[in-house]
Amino acid sequence: MPRTSVVESPGCPPLRALTADILGLIKVVEARTKPAGVAKVVETWGAPDASRAVLAASLADRAVDPVLAVARKNGVVELLNPLNGDTLAGVKAAGTAPADSSAEEDPLATLHLFRRHAPDSSMFGTFLTCTEKGKAYVKSVAKENAASDMAVGPSSSWDVSNSGTVQFSSVDAGDSYAMFGGKGIEVNLWDITSCSKIWSAKSPRGNSLHIFTPPWFTAGTFLCKDDHRKIVACTNNHQVRLYDTASQRRPVISVDFRESPIKAVAEDPNGHAVYIGTGRGDLASFDMRTGKLLGCFVGRCSGSIRSIVSHPELPLIASCGLDSYLRIWDTNTRQLLSAVFLKQHLTAVVIDSHFSTEELEETKPKQQDTLIEAEVEVRRERKEKKNRTSEVDEDRTRMLNHDYSDAEMHTPKRKKSGERSKGMKKKSKKQQVA
Amino acid sequence: MAKERKRRQPTDAPSPGDDDGERREHRREKKPRKERGDPVLPSQIKNKDKRKEVHAKLKSEKKAQKRRLARERSQAVQRAIELGEQPPEKQVPRTIENTREPDETVCRPDDQELFAGNDADEFNAVLKQQTMPKVLITTCRFNSGRGPAFIEELMQVIPNSCYVKRGTYELKKIVEYANNRGFTSLVVVHTNQREPDALLIINLPDGPTAHFKLSKLILRKDIKNHGNPTSHKPELVLNNFTTRLGHRIGRMIQSLFPQDPNFRGRRVVTFHNQRDYIFFRHHRYIFEMKENKIASKDKKAKASESKSQPEKQVICRLQECGPRFTLKLLTLQHGTFDTKSGEYEWVHKPDMDTSRRRFFL
Repeated sequence: MPRTSVVESPGCPPLRALTADILGLIKVVEARTKPAGVAKVVETWGAPDASRAVLAASLADRAVDPVLAVARKNGVVELLNPLNGDTLAGVKAAGTAPADSSAEEDPLATLHLFRRHAPDSSMFGTFLTCTEKGKAYVKSVAKENAASDMAVGPSSSWDVSNSGTVQFSSVDAGDSYAMFGGKGIEVNLWDITSCSKIWSAKSPRGNSLHIFTPPWFTAGTFLCKDDHRKIVACTNNHQVRLYDTASQRRPVISVDFRESPIKAVAEDPNGHAVYIGTGRGDLASFDMRTGKLLGCFVGRCSGSIRSIVSHPELPLIASCGLDSYLRIWDTNTRQLLSAVFLKQHLTAVVIDSHFSTEELEETKPKQQDTLIEAEVEVRRERKEKKNRTSEVDEDRTRMLNHDYSDAEMHTPKRKKSGERSKGMKKKSKKQQVA
Repeated sequence: MAKERKRRQPTDAPSPGDDDGERREHRREKKPRKERGDPVLPSQIKNKDKRKEVHAKLKSEKKAQKRRLARERSQAVQRAIELGEQPPEKQVPRTIENTREPDETVCRPDDQELFAGNDADEFNAVLKQQTMPKVLITTCRFNSGRGPAFIEELMQVIPNSCYVKRGTYELKKIVEYANNRGFTSLVVVHTNQREPDALLIINLPDGPTAHFKLSKLILRKDIKNHGNPTSHKPELVLNNFTTRLGHRIGRMIQSLFPQDPNFRGRRVVTFHNQRDYIFFRHHRYIFEMKENKIASKDKKAKASESKSQPEKQVICRLQECGPRFTLKLLTLQHGTFDTKSGEYEWVHKPDMDTSRRRFFL
């Protein structure tokens, strides 16, 4: 019989992830305990519109009053309620200038929503965003008259760099330091409160042939939660670098990984491992204390990985990218727990860690699934049935085999007895002849 | 000699007689085994003549059984037709295609996100006829053998295409050049050892780049009874591009051709996908009136009636013209050609080949 592949997924723990794609849709994927850990799309927010494509997303992951921020292609940063998808506010990031023209020339590259909650609850939140040309903005959105564009509270802006394009930014867990980098821009660290540059990296020396590679950083993150001094940055030149801002400006560790540019990086909550995703769809984890490859997440990823997030409590990560699958992996075993097809090229994924199933079932009745999901389920059931039947078949064959083996066990004896009898007959004949 | 044999026979007789007796005993022992249900296969018989005999017998039995079953089926159908009942369901053979592994990426006709995605993608301008497709064809740096002939034929297939000599330019420079001149697609024919072996289709200005393996190339002059294509805009047939990736590839191929075919030209270009291999064919067709054969038989019987009503049937005749090849998708890259910092939408990796029944297009 032909070989068939069966997805042996151990199933994922209860989980809620939100993905954003190039049509500006935000999809909520949930895995619950009741249908045995199968992740599926629960809700879709927004109408498909390519001009509102999501470029970056960030979630203020709080138990009370969480906020999701998305940066759209038309230069608008939208704040959403990640529980029901209501738009709280939409702010043009580029300030006073007519943003329609500027958004095309200088689209937003990165977005971060600060996690610390404002002391008075008149604010929705504060976010840091940066355009490709290096203009960084910090803006707060106030609750009163949020409908109008000008509903912004205290804000500040600065120029990260004058040349090059910014490709990533990252903010440390304490929300006080931001890091930027990009094509032609070295990694640099900024103090957000004073809007001043604290530290910037230096290119490593040329190699043995004295060939100098211009800086091109594609992803970066702070390694530890409580330490803003250790930075992991990944280059287009397929290198993973560890910078220690306290000690030197050149990288402490630099490791090569395969041949394709690294497009996404995420830190593990344990404070020393990082997960990287490349432009060819390879996902791997590195231990940054030693710079050793811990292992790859093998198979099934066929497109560039755009975004990785790790769960703050559970040992799992979610990755998404151009193959339009959201995949959830176990970090200990490096096995795929679940994969959800979401139809478009995905740009960002965030995990809502304060998701519990009981709460949800109390508040919401079960929602009607779309046709597709129903069919997928039916298929899964069929597969399971098939598996069962195949197992049964196997059992049967085993039984048969036993029979055969028994038969084989028996036949030689019979043969021997037959031979004996023949021998006897021969002897008797010979005797007769004699 | 005959006498000797006669003499020998009685003397030799007892020993073979003994053997025969033993053999018979063997057979007697084997027979009940046969009945138990494991027949002796012809391949287990060591004597060639015997083996042949048994094999021929088995084969003829099988054939007869097959014929009998077919006859029974056809009789059942006929009976059902005579009685005016519903004929029994026709058996469908199991093939690799119809036992394909279920795939959730297959496009559905009621998917609104798919249409929205189509409207947003890079091929939309060409496919909505807002811009005319304009194709630039070039080669790898060393182009010889069947490469030039293939390009000549490719230019006759794709209207509004022109060939530019590659020279020693980098592909990125050529992409830039083509962008500046308003080309919508760039096709690169790669040759290896004087044999075209890869095709690179780049959608301009910032569309995806598809890298195909090209095999089984047969040029026009090697096709028997080939026709010569006219310069009309061809019709396009795209078969079996079912998944999301296949849909994208289909749209990419579609954007190479003008969207308003000249039906008068009766020229058709086919891209047929089967098991992830895309087969390219190029035909001319003609519809002809032909008298039905059954009608002609009737003519002989009832000459007067058939003359009054000559039964005619429309048939379509095909003539193949120019090249025939097979493509297999290797990678689909996001953005134009860039090997160092390119992002891939889809890469074929060997660990994806988990089954013969898993297809991606």
